[in-house]
Parts: sequence; structure tokens; C-alpha cells
Amino acid sequence: MTIDGILPARTVRPQSIEELAELMASERGAILPVGAGTQTFFGNPLRLADCAVDLTSLSRITEYVPADLTIHVEAGVTLAQLQRALLENNQFLPLDPWNGPAATVGGIAAVNAQGPYRAAGTIRDWIIGMKVVEIDGRISKTGGRVVKNVTGYDLQKLYTGSLGTLVIIAEISLKLRAKFARTATAVARFGDVETAAAAVATVRKGALQPVSCVWTGPENEVWLRFGEDPRAVDWQLKNLPPLADWTVLEGADEAAAWERLRDRFNDFAPIVTRAVGLPSAVHEIIKEYRPQAWMAHALNGIVLMQFASPAEIGRMRQKYRAVIERAPVEVRREIPTFGLNDAEYELMKRMKDAFDPEGRLNPGRHIDGERVAQR
Amino acid sequence: MNPEVVSKLQKILGRDRVVADETELLVYECDGLPLFKNRPDVVVFPRNAEDVAQVVRLANEYRIPFLPRGAGTGLSGGALAVEGGIVIELQRMNRILSIDVENRIAIVQPGVVNLHISQAAAPYGLYYAPDPSSQMSCSIGGNVAENSGGPHCLKYGMTTNHILEIEVVTAAGDIIRLGNPAGEPIGMDLVGTIVGSEGTFAIVTEITIRLLPKPQAVKTMLAAFRTVEECSQTVSDVISAGIVPAALEFVDAKTIEAVEASVYKAGYPLDAVAALLIEVDGFRDGLEETAGAIVEICRRNRAYEVRVAQNDDERAKLWLGRKGAFGAMGRLAPDMITMDAVIPRTRLPEVLVAIDRMSEQYGLDVANVFHAGDGNLHPLILFDGRYPEQVEKIFKMNEDIMKLCVEVGGSLSGEHGIGFEKKDFMPLVYNDADLETMLRVKRVFNPESLLNPEKIFPTHRGCAEIGKHSTTNTAEISKRVEAILLGSPEKVQR
Repeated sequence: MTIDGILPARTVRPQSIEELAELMASERGAILPVGAGTQTFFGNPLRLADCAVDLTSLSRITEYVPADLTIHVEAGVTLAQLQRALLENNQFLPLDPWNGPAATVGGIAAVNAQGPYRAAGTIRDWIIGMKVVEIDGRISKTGGRVVKNVTGYDLQKLYTGSLGTLVIIAEISLKLRAKFARTATAVARFGDVETAAAAVATVRKGALQPVSCVWTGPENEVWLRFGEDPRAVDWQLKNLPPLADWTVLEGADEAAAWERLRDRFNDFAPIVTRAVGLPSAVHEIIKEYRPQAWMAHALNGIVLMQFASPAEIGRMRQKYRAVIERAPVEVRREIPTFGLNDAEYELMKRMKDAFDPEGRLNPGRHIDGERVAQR
Repeated sequence: MNPEVVSKLQKILGRDRVVADETELLVYECDGLPLFKNRPDVVVFPRNAEDVAQVVRLANEYRIPFLPRGAGTGLSGGALAVEGGIVIELQRMNRILSIDVENRIAIVQPGVVNLHISQAAAPYGLYYAPDPSSQMSCSIGGNVAENSGGPHCLKYGMTTNHILEIEVVTAAGDIIRLGNPAGEPIGMDLVGTIVGSEGTFAIVTEITIRLLPKPQAVKTMLAAFRTVEECSQTVSDVISAGIVPAALEFVDAKTIEAVEASVYKAGYPLDAVAALLIEVDGFRDGLEETAGAIVEICRRNRAYEVRVAQNDDERAKLWLGRKGAFGAMGRLAPDMITMDAVIPRTRLPEVLVAIDRMSEQYGLDVANVFHAGDGNLHPLILFDGRYPEQVEKIFKMNEDIMKLCVEVGGSLSGEHGIGFEKKDFMPLVYNDADLETMLRVKRVFNPESLLNPEKIFPTHRGCAEIGKHSTTNTAEISKRVEAILLGSPEKVQR
């Protein structure tokens, strides 16, 4: 597997966490942890990779206690595999990252990957504990196996989204929830940005509680997914924003529609940015930067936008936070992925140095590639 | 302490914002956990982040330990000045800076009382979800430090799930902002890392929190059981039925006895061995049916009485019994300590039996009133502080309870934190490698360890003396709870 034009000299595939630890203890070069490889495009450009560590063999569900609403899985378990196991007990996790169900749980955590269920949270909100392997091969854990826990530091939050640059996530404990008794999705197409924005604002200020609220463009569709009690779903379907022609999807049609939406997003190219502002700013962000196409997690103030050139990223960062979601490596060489301020940068850099002083874990991908001069 | 420091603090803050008088300092010798006490050398009352930063820089210059303190209601000794030094009391930074109704967020200073946020948001139909039992007096800054919970965390998550952005003063005295009002971590999730770090990473000086729309409807009910097993089975059955209750609280016979003999008399059945206070909320449509399903589950598990509150008054009364439980214990003993531990909820019956056995073994009464839905136990140990041997026994019993909970796959704290109280128990849960990694992260934030030293990490140094100005005394506790629950016109739960 080539990432950012770099082909790792070797690939190893540990069969257990202990084997992974031994590998890490003996490895002296640059290490590239890889799961299903569904989001290798994300992050600052990889600088070096002597050894790719393929984690897909760590694919065991180590313990699942449905009655406790907890599951403990190795990092290589895929989201599809996880949800399948949960569904047998009528449980699930409201997670549907754009990179799809083939992604591994470890990879989703490493990126804090998200999708239309953003309105119901991200994997960050479901992780209750982790076992990780550190650069020197040491295994350490954080959190625990119970749904509520404030024993020690919440390092699982630190590792989530750290892109495998602090530690390698080896095992994850998750809390779970019961599968929604019913879901239904309402979709409406609006004539222009203004009317779509008005519908979204009605949802934001009103009584509806969608678990997904995606505003897509340029076609100006608003997608609202409701989950929970069937009667509560009914009530919400009866109280959709007025002056729109809502189509309600359920069952297989609903699932297929969301998959099509995911495909549509995954076709965004060549440059995709994630702008972050207040929920009420979504409309303004879309108007001001005029993306060719977009998907907004409209209740969260997050807009994923497609651009033909990177010119808008700098302009956007003067006013909003903006992360490069996807871009050719040439672009990412010029523009940092996260766009951090100095205080954040300094603190994250110190964190990186504390965990990986030689910079051997996924070199360049995260904070150590964030300041172009240091690349 | 070097008198030069006090005079410099006075110069920074003004004389009236610096307390160095030994008698006045007694108030700050402990927090809500009076089993440990130590007097700080000086207490300061900053007005803003800049004040805090200047104090922190001065402390660094003179290498004096310092720590933040909110309302002092913490139950793990997190605000205990173990090495003396400067206590930075944030209670006067108590303004709600803004409520953004459209975006459902509020920006608040750390000294704002938890409940005051919900009260201020109420006219807009919004509220702040995490509701620790001390919500009428605890501060939001303390909640952030401890990642506080509460009965409604079962459905709505802990403090960490509601904090979007923070301004902090670092251990070196820099003012920085982390996070964003969208609550979207960019780069590393430093906000999530700091929340729950028990005031050992940074001092939070401004907080952007998420507000939630009030649910359309709420149903609250009480179910009484003749055995703990049937009661526990009901908890499991409700969860496995796919119901996500807003709260699922356990009350045992001893608690009922105390509550029913007190001003919090809620009409809990006196002959119950255990009872559940169950609340569901959400859309009006469907809620009746959900409540009905729960009643059915209770009956199937041989609940001999199930009472569904028919109106807000009845609902408030059911909650009053639960919330007043701590204040009612004076009926049973002169002193009490609230413990905190968490277990997988399926292990409830055996753990309760074991705690019962310990109670007999130590000759100390235990009342159990806790968050059953998420397995978060709160054994209230009743004792008489006039007998030092009883105090000694509490420490031993606490340790036994911790060991038991860890053995069944649980952990040391569900919502009170480790603080000073439980730091020596940490090796029960974490090995050297785990602790070393946590310490490494602490050093990134707090390299000199001047900020809130001697917390969380084991040092095996005890100082078991009961502090004077917080109390284990049930009569005192009763007075306070009474002032809060009955004295204030606002008996709002959310």
C-alpha cells in the first residue's frame, strides 16, 4: 500500500496485541499503523515509513456483555463486523463514518471519523476504555470496562483523533445502546440555498430531534433521520418543516438512500475541507465560500465542501476553523491539514514529543507535519 | 509562607481578594470530603482569567503549590491543599456570560452554580443536562474538573459530553482557548483530555457548554420490591428491553427508613427491601407506552407496588425523597461518608450482598442509594465520629469495597473522581505502565507539578484527620441539604 507516494519497506501483520508489542519493542524505524486503509488520504503528508503495521488480524471481539451494554474489540474489527454482532442482540452504535462499514474500529477512532450520525455524536462519545501499544512496545490501558468511569485521566479522548501518532490503538471498549426501535428519513429538495437554510433553521430551533441532519448541495436537499420510539418518530414526521415536499424513506430504501449519499460524498474531489463554525453559521459559510458541492452536518456547524482549488482554505481560516478532509498530497504539502493556532500547536507538539520523542510513529501525519517549515 | 508572596498577591488582586488569616483559612482546609484536611497558606479570589494567570505566574516564580477550587463540594478531596500553598477560589467568577438560544450553547464562568445555568436557560425551553446531586451548590468549573455525573447521565452523558470549548490558564500561567463552539475536536482532543483531569492539567476560566431542549414530557415512577435480586433484575430487564431511561435510581430499605422519617418523606413504601425511581422523558407521543412497558417489567419482577407520578407535584415529591436521602441520614447515625464506585450493572446483586456482609463484619451501617442504570454505587457509610476506631474502620471498609468492585470488573469512581481520597487505590486498576503513561501526560500540562500536587497518583501518604469546616456530621449535612432542597424557592430538577 502506497500512502502519499511512500511505499513502506516492509509490512508486518501481528496476530495478537502481545505480538504487536514485541514488534514495536524491536522496531527502530518509522512505523505506519494501518487498518482497512479507508482513510489514508487524511492528515498531513506521510514523511517516512520503514514498516507498515497491518492491524487487520487483530480482529477479535474479546468480550461482549449485552446486558451491560458494553463490548470490547480489537482494533482491526471492522465497523460492519461490530454492528453485525450487536444487531444479534438488538443493539448498535449510531456510527456511520463516510469511509464506510469496511473501516476498522481502530481506524475510526484514530481519525475520529464521522458521518451523517454526527448529530448523535462520534465514536469519541462511545469509547469507555482503550488498550494501546506505545512506541517502545509497552502496553498500557486507559479508562475501563464500565459505562461510567472517572478513574484516572481520560486518555482515550487524547488518543481518539491522534491519527496513530501518539500510540497504536490495540483494543477498544465501547458502551452501546439499544437499536432504535424505528428509524425513518425525510428528504426534501429546496429551490435555493435560502429556502434550504430556512428549513434547517426551523429544525435547529424547533422540537424535532433528528439523529442526522444533512444539508447537501448544490442540489439543496435536506436529509433528516429520526430514530427511537416509533410513535416519537411518527410525531416528528408529522411535524416536519413546512413549505417543502418531504419524501419519507424507511427500511431497505432508507438504508440504500444513505449509502447513495455516502457515495456522493466520496465522489467529492479533488479538495474537500471541513469548515467548523456555529450551527447558525452554516448558511453563511456556504454562501461565502461557494463550494462546488457540500454536505453539512447542519446541527453541528460542520460543512464538508468540495473545491477545485485550495485557494479558499486560507481565506476560510481567517474566519472559521477549517480542516483539510481530502486533498492531493501536493496541496497538503503546502497547506497544513488542521490549521491550528500557536497555543494548540505548542501543546500538541509537546504531547507528541512526550509519547514519541524520535518521531517514529506515522511521521509527518499529524502535529509533526503541521508547520510546513518543519517538514 | 513567604510574606512577600502575600503582599504581591494583594498587589495583584487587592487586599480584599486575598485571605491569609489563619482562622479564615480554616474554611478551606477541606472540601466535601472532610476525612482529610490541610490548611492552605493563602486563598485568593480572582476576578478574571488575567488575575488567575498572574497568581499562577507568581506561584511559579516562588515555586509554591497552587490549586483551583470551586464550591468545595467535591467528594474525593480534589480541592484539598495537600502541600498548603495557594488556593485559587473561583467562586466569585460566577457570571453567565451569554446564552445563545439559536445555537443552544451558553458561555459561563467557572464559578457559576450548575443549577443556575438551567434556571437561566429555562425561559428559552433549554437546560444543562448533567445534574450532580449537589447541583444546587456545585460549580460548573468543578464539574469540568471532575467530569461530574448525576442521575440523568444515564441517558444524556457526563459533563465531558457537554463541554464544547474552554479557556484555561495553564500551569505556567498562560491563557489559552481550546476547542470550538461546534464541539468538533481539531487535531488532538485537548478539551476532552482536560475535562476530568481533576484540576491537575490546567485551571478552567471560561466554559462553553451545550444546552438541550427540555423534553416535551417526563414520566416518573417508583417501584417497590421485596428482594434486591428482583429489583436488580428489573434494572437489567429495562435496559435489555431497549429502553433508555432518563434516570434509574436505586434506594434501599435503610434509605427509605431515613427518608420517610424526615422532612423529605416521599411516601416510599416502608416495607420495601429495595425500590427503583425510574424516569423516562422525550416526545409526548410514545412516552405513555414506554412508561407502561416499564411498569409491566416491574410487575413481572414481582414489584408489589408501582406508583406512577400523575403530575409535577407527585413527580417532585418522588425526587425529593431521592435527593434528600443524604440529608435524612441523621435519623440513623451521627456521621456519614458517601462512597463512589462503579461496576458492570449485571453484577449488582452479588456486590450488594457482599457490601451487606462487610457492613456486618465492620459493624457499620450502610445505606445504598445510587445510579443503578449505569452501575454507579454510592454506599453511604454511617458511623459515629466520636469513636476514632470507627473512622479507622471506614478507611478499611472503603478499601474493601474498592477491591470488590474492581474484582467484578468495575472501577474506583463513577463520578466523584480519585483526588486525594483514592489515589493509593489506583494500582488496583492500573499497572505501572498505565500510571506512567498518565503521569507523562500530566507532565506535558503540569511539568513542575505545582498545580494541584499529590492527587490521583499513589504516594501512600495519609493524613486521616477529620476536617472541621466540612463535615461528616449528619445533622450538619441535614441542615445544608434542607437549606438547599427546602429553603430555596426553586425546587427545579432540570
